[in-house]
Amino acid sequence: MSSLDWVVLIATLAIIILYGIWKSRGEQSMESYFLGNQSMPWYIVLLSIIGTQASAITFISAPGQAYTDGMRFVQYYFGLPLAMVVLCITFVPIFHKLKVYTAYEFLEKRFDLKTRTLTASLFLIQRGLSTGISICAPSIILSSLLGWNLYWTNMIMGGLLIIYTVAGGTRAVAYTQTLQLVIIFGGMFLAGWMVVHLLPADIGFKQALQVSGKMEKLNVIVTRFDWNDKYNIWSGLIGGFFLALSYFGTDQSQVGRYLTAKSVKESRMGLLMNGLVKVPMQFLILLIGAMVFVFYLYFRAPIFFNEAQLARVRNTEQGPALAQLESQYSQLATQKQQQVKQLATALEQEDAAGAASAKKVLKQTDEQAQAVRAEALTLMKKADPAADTNDTNYIFLHFVVNNLPKGLVGLLIAIIFLAAWGSIAAALNSLASTTVIDIYQRLYNGNASPEHYLRVSRLWSLIWGVFCIVVAQFASGLGSLIEVVNVLGSWFYGVTLGIFMVAFYLKRVGGTATFWAAIAAEAVVLAMYGTEQVSFLWLNAIGCILVVVFALMIQPFVKPRTM
Amino acid sequence: MSIGPEEEKPPLFPTWRYWYALVIGWLVLLIVLFYLFTKTYS
Repeated sequence: MSSLDWVVLIATLAIIILYGIWKSRGEQSMESYFLGNQSMPWYIVLLSIIGTQASAITFISAPGQAYTDGMRFVQYYFGLPLAMVVLCITFVPIFHKLKVYTAYEFLEKRFDLKTRTLTASLFLIQRGLSTGISICAPSIILSSLLGWNLYWTNMIMGGLLIIYTVAGGTRAVAYTQTLQLVIIFGGMFLAGWMVVHLLPADIGFKQALQVSGKMEKLNVIVTRFDWNDKYNIWSGLIGGFFLALSYFGTDQSQVGRYLTAKSVKESRMGLLMNGLVKVPMQFLILLIGAMVFVFYLYFRAPIFFNEAQLARVRNTEQGPALAQLESQYSQLATQKQQQVKQLATALEQEDAAGAASAKKVLKQTDEQAQAVRAEALTLMKKADPAADTNDTNYIFLHFVVNNLPKGLVGLLIAIIFLAAWGSIAAALNSLASTTVIDIYQRLYNGNASPEHYLRVSRLWSLIWGVFCIVVAQFASGLGSLIEVVNVLGSWFYGVTLGIFMVAFYLKRVGGTATFWAAIAAEAVVLAMYGTEQVSFLWLNAIGCILVVVFALMIQPFVKPRTM
Repeated sequence: MSIGPEEEKPPLFPTWRYWYALVIGWLVLLIVLFYLFTKTYS
């Protein structure tokens, strides 16, 4: 990175930290720390919801996902708008009416203490681990770029974020997320514009779309049903609906955002606007990845996008063999450059036969290149069995660092930090609120002063920050981080949602039946994942349905509820 | 909160049902547009 990039990066991050600290000023109580005194308008709620969900992983992995697998990943979000509607009808009015700090408080009012504690514990496990991964994602980028030690980078990365999160609570989190998203959207728009701008002069956006489509990267809708296919319209609508309902309805990191709204109306508007903007937003982020794919048809791509990993293999006994494969890959890239020009010309002239022929030749060459790349990955594993051979997270970064002008590189790197901080800050705040409200205050110390609870809340924000940094130290070798987070969620979200579904819709089922149903369903979900029977996205729906069915089966055998 | 959820009127529309229909209709429209996009460029 140039000096200008460093200035832009450091200045952007410093502005966010100072803004967060500035928003932390003034007297605070536990209510302001966790609920922001319920004073937020809908647009702050909306931006906070988006900022919490869109982590660095979204901006690092999603373009890479489109590069490797096409844009069909967007279908994963199709269930989200439907979930927003259900939330507005059922969850939001109840949470506001009961004036809860956390979603899990409601479960004690409806069921009993053990069900509340179980659900809060599942959340703490899942969110604690996921947040650690969210810290790791930008740290991998920094360490790869600068050659820094990844473990120290994780610590510095998490440490900066903790400053304003611990000091300011949910108010600082919401306002910094707002500023972060303004910078993020501006930067991503510039990056998308630059990808098209950097293509050869005779290739415009329309031609780039045509080429990308012919190479099957614009496969936004996949209608074929397959239980093991992760991203098709059916898994997106059904599995995505259950996942979104669970995430926004039962995950305190999101519930905590819309509980800060000043009324039910403001909460509903924030969620419904999220239902309107989320799918187009993801579409545009993935489109950047599809354009990056076209860019690397015209300009040579490396055989592996993680250059640091590649350099390590070059210095081993596998180095000469890797050099040979890189040479072959380079020759094939030259062929592809010629072939893609022929394809673009045929498409421009609306020569269907010529385009079909050019596409066939280009795809054949691309398949040969992929075969050579696969050999290189095998070599990498031979050279270092612990090597991570998934470079999805490096594709967009490689493009940014090597092709964007000075200053914009720094801004894009800053954006990755800001996106990470937005989701991590909300997660730390929600982990602290669940620990203090559902565990500490409820089980151990219910009669302390407000000042004591505020001190404990800040302390737990700090403790969870440290815990997540420790998790981040072990997360770097997990492959595509966006999938790891989603897999982790699918282990717990379905079961958690099932508990809430029983609470809302099955009035005759009590806490004991629900508690044991949840334990049994969690065991089945983990067993199904372990035996790879279905794609992970379906586990959300399966977990939810199992809790409902098991609870109905167990209820006749337990003592009737007394209310 | 001074106003109960039942009494709160949404902005622009007379009831919340119109907002829910808008969100679902928007999703359907997006899926149709994406389908056409996929077909056009495949």
